Amino acid sequence: MKLSKVFYNGVVKENPIFVQLIGMCSVLAVTTSAINGLAMGLAVTGVLIGSNVVVSLLRKVIPDKIRIPAFIVVIATFVTIVEMFMKAYTQDLYNALGIFIPLIVVNCIILARAEAFASKNNVLASAVDGLGMGLGYTIALLVLSILREILGAGSIFDIQLFGPSFEPALIFIMPPGAFILLGILIAVFNSIRNKKASKEALVKEEAR
Amino acid sequence: MNETLKLGLILFIITAVAASVLAVSNSVTSERIAEADRLANERAKMEVLDIAEEFNTIDEGRLKDIIGSNTNIVEINEGYKDSDLVGYTFNMKVNGYGGEITFMTGVSKEGKITGLKILNHGETPGLGANSTKPYFSNSFKDKSVDNELTATKSPQGDSEVQALTSATITTNAIVDGVNIVRQVYNEKLSN
Repeated sequence: MKLSKVFYNGVVKENPIFVQLIGMCSVLAVTTSAINGLAMGLAVTGVLIGSNVVVSLLRKVIPDKIRIPAFIVVIATFVTIVEMFMKAYTQDLYNALGIFIPLIVVNCIILARAEAFASKNNVLASAVDGLGMGLGYTIALLVLSILREILGAGSIFDIQLFGPSFEPALIFIMPPGAFILLGILIAVFNSIRNKKASKEALVKEEAR
Repeated sequence: MNETLKLGLILFIITAVAASVLAVSNSVTSERIAEADRLANERAKMEVLDIAEEFNTIDEGRLKDIIGSNTNIVEINEGYKDSDLVGYTFNMKVNGYGGEITFMTGVSKEGKITGLKILNHGETPGLGANSTKPYFSNSFKDKSVDNELTATKSPQGDSEVQALTSATITTNAIVDGVNIVRQVYNEKLSN
């Protein structure tokens, strides 16, 4: 399998948020401001790359019967390391993300990638898969959180965009706004993907 | 039986390696975390009671004596300037909209609130999280501890503080917390 294809797969074709729709609870909860979305995305990417590499390294050592507990231990270890370092060096961010950092352990994207990809592929491909999926997740979170912050708080990365006369639509930083915007984003993303897919099909048809 | 043992052993090795990796990263970060916590606490004390230069934490026995059965007050510090007692800082723990809010507030010897700082919270960004902004915390400044504080949209006078738009629970949690401080101060610490 070509590495570029693995990467593209993670970011676009099987984007964990827009296409696979996994790991949604943290997505809805942390995307209230752009900085939170970005930080959560990067934390998940870090854990994903780390756990993918280690699971891939151990794929021949871990017996099939105990693979799930073994994966969980690997994932939990990486999450705890990320948590410790965030707490030590970026305390404000750690405070803002709160409970969602330890909860990365149960984020299904990470276990899904360990099970579906890293346990069957070599280390390099697994690392690239982790990077691609992580970036796809981060981009989705960033887009959603930027839109929510602009619409709901009138700012972006805490910088005010509009004058004091601007009345932000509070609903967008509340949970219902997250559902509405995420739905719209998924629709847009899928319509772009569908158009592209039908174009590709057409090209193939003509080539025949 | 043999296979069970083998599986157990493999799992044990994996967890043992994981534990030692965690032990290493804990020893790398734990000092920094403690230091960052201490610094944040130190800075907050200076901020909420800026007239004091040195602080002395009230020990547990006396703290129990002062707060009684109250569970919202976590820590009280005496603030000194040139070895004169100038006021107190209170570490508070209250329940907001998104879980626990910890904040610190200071009261001067003259019975005025000298400042308020939110330390940790899980409030909604853009709503309750605005409690960390100066326009909210500054509205507590220089209020007298004689009157019960209430929150309104456009505060006037000595007993009204800024209310946060669409974050009534957050506002009330903090205002109630400050009112507890007022009570404790009036009953036990003023003389």
